[in-house]
Amino acid sequence: MIDFANASLALLKRDLRAVARSRSQLYSSLLFPLMLLALLGTGVSSGLSPTSPRILEGDYTSFLAPGMIAMTALFSSTFSSAGFYRDRESGLLRALLASPHSPQTILFGKALSAILIGTAQALTVLMLAVVIPGIDLAWQFGWLGGVATVVVTILALNVMLSGLSLLLAVRIKTMQGFHLIMNLVLFPLFFLSGAFFPLDEVPTWLEAIGYANPLTYVVDLLHYASYADSPDGLIGPLIDGLVLGALALCLFAVGLRRAPLAV
Amino acid sequence: MATAEPDRSDGPTPALLRGATFVWPGGRGVSDIDLAVQRGDIVALLGPNGAGKSTILKMLSGEVTPQQGQVSIFGEQHGPTARRRIGLVLQEPSTDDLMSLQETLQLHGRLFGLRGGDLDRRSLDLLDALGIGDRAQDRCDTLSGGLRRRLDIARALLHDPDLLLLDEPTLALDPDSSMAIWQTLHTRASAGAAVVVCSNDTVEAEHNADRVVFIDEGRLVAEDAPSRLTANLKSDALELDWPDLLDADLDEMRRWSEVGDLLRTDHGLHLTVDSSAEIVPRLFQTFGSRVTGIRIRESSLRDAWVRIVGHPMEPDNEHGIRREA
Repeated sequence: MIDFANASLALLKRDLRAVARSRSQLYSSLLFPLMLLALLGTGVSSGLSPTSPRILEGDYTSFLAPGMIAMTALFSSTFSSAGFYRDRESGLLRALLASPHSPQTILFGKALSAILIGTAQALTVLMLAVVIPGIDLAWQFGWLGGVATVVVTILALNVMLSGLSLLLAVRIKTMQGFHLIMNLVLFPLFFLSGAFFPLDEVPTWLEAIGYANPLTYVVDLLHYASYADSPDGLIGPLIDGLVLGALALCLFAVGLRRAPLAV
Repeated sequence: MATAEPDRSDGPTPALLRGATFVWPGGRGVSDIDLAVQRGDIVALLGPNGAGKSTILKMLSGEVTPQQGQVSIFGEQHGPTARRRIGLVLQEPSTDDLMSLQETLQLHGRLFGLRGGDLDRRSLDLLDALGIGDRAQDRCDTLSGGLRRRLDIARALLHDPDLLLLDEPTLALDPDSSMAIWQTLHTRASAGAAVVVCSNDTVEAEHNADRVVFIDEGRLVAEDAPSRLTANLKSDALELDWPDLLDADLDEMRRWSEVGDLLRTDHGLHLTVDSSAEIVPRLFQTFGSRVTGIRIRESSLRDAWVRIVGHPMEPDNEHGIRREA
């Protein structure tokens, strides 16, 4: 157990250092969601004057904020997974696996880094959203409970994304292929998650796709905990939590079990 | 060659393969490999690209499990205990560009259970021994290929392994880097480590290995000390440019007692002889200017390979060399 913890910590330290030294990656992970908040949020709020009751007082920037927190985690996960491919292509992963630890321990250590880095980056965007004037988060059940829910949600999202990345790495052998999948699958899923528009006001077929989308439950829970001023129109924490928790645990467990095939 | 004689009877055999077979999905691999590497041995696995050397190394390192046969490391099956005793150098440099040399060793040291001052001391000592101590704080992306390779070696040696497995550790390196690496390997072997090196460099294997194993098309073809493998060779090797070489010319040369092996090439002829000083004048007397070029060198492991395996090891394969009986 001590060996396992030490190995995980050593890998975590290495990956944190790598992220800290990849400044462009670090900045783009944070700046892109903030840029969307500033430009898209202001543009839609001012230019389109949204009237949906789910967008409180037509303030689209504030509505967008929870989705941008989830998006930061998604971006961070993509970068962390790209790091996995880089380590595999450089041979570093093979060198790590030559240590006395099981492949699962090494891959767990790397996944742990991805989870913590993704969570830290997403929470950084949350903090910025809190302090930026003009973004109003209602925290309907109190600030403390709301933040705790957001932290747990983001952690679960990152666990789910890490599991998904491990599974993808088994099937997709090149970084280019991975980015292609990310662009073709994950981003449409994100657009249909309720982050950009409320799902209860779109055509039924689009709504159906939205509710089949795991990210919908993440964004719903984030809205519930931070932005919304009432639970009306939201799926709610019980279903969100069950779907997200089950998916995160299953994907991570299966990913970790199958990931040695990806090395 | 190793400079001291460690106690080879100390404990179980460091690396043992018995009838080991592993075939990759594409069909390449190795078949029925028997190999035992003792403490203090430097064993070179010699063969062309794709012969199966790296597959043998992967079976020894535990990266792949033989589909038939057995592998044992210090008398045990592969697992964490075995891996703790192995130092592995992969074919390609496997460093993280964003880390410094010292950080690279710190990471791997921690994975092998090293900590604190001991890890710091070992890291710096090794970097010094390999001539890169002054670069300890530099990032890996500032290193040349040769220096990266030295770092790979340092990483493999950090936990003081009893069995070193190295896949072409000096490929395409400058002479200084090659020499530094081989000196380090000899030092470790002298201290009792078993060393297995994949190579397709016959000169390097001949000069550094205690034992050479010829691997060709997935099979172990020969295994012995370099001096024994080359013992029956004629002393000189000649490569002749001879565009219009005829079968009759070959028949004539086969009658010359000084001539050993003959190999026809696309460009002419490869042969071993007792004395190039005697045979070269006779060649020109007999065949005149039809021989348009000649290169002479001492016979080596390269010629032993040709003699034993039946075809050249180098890319000459692609040039259509075939052995003349």
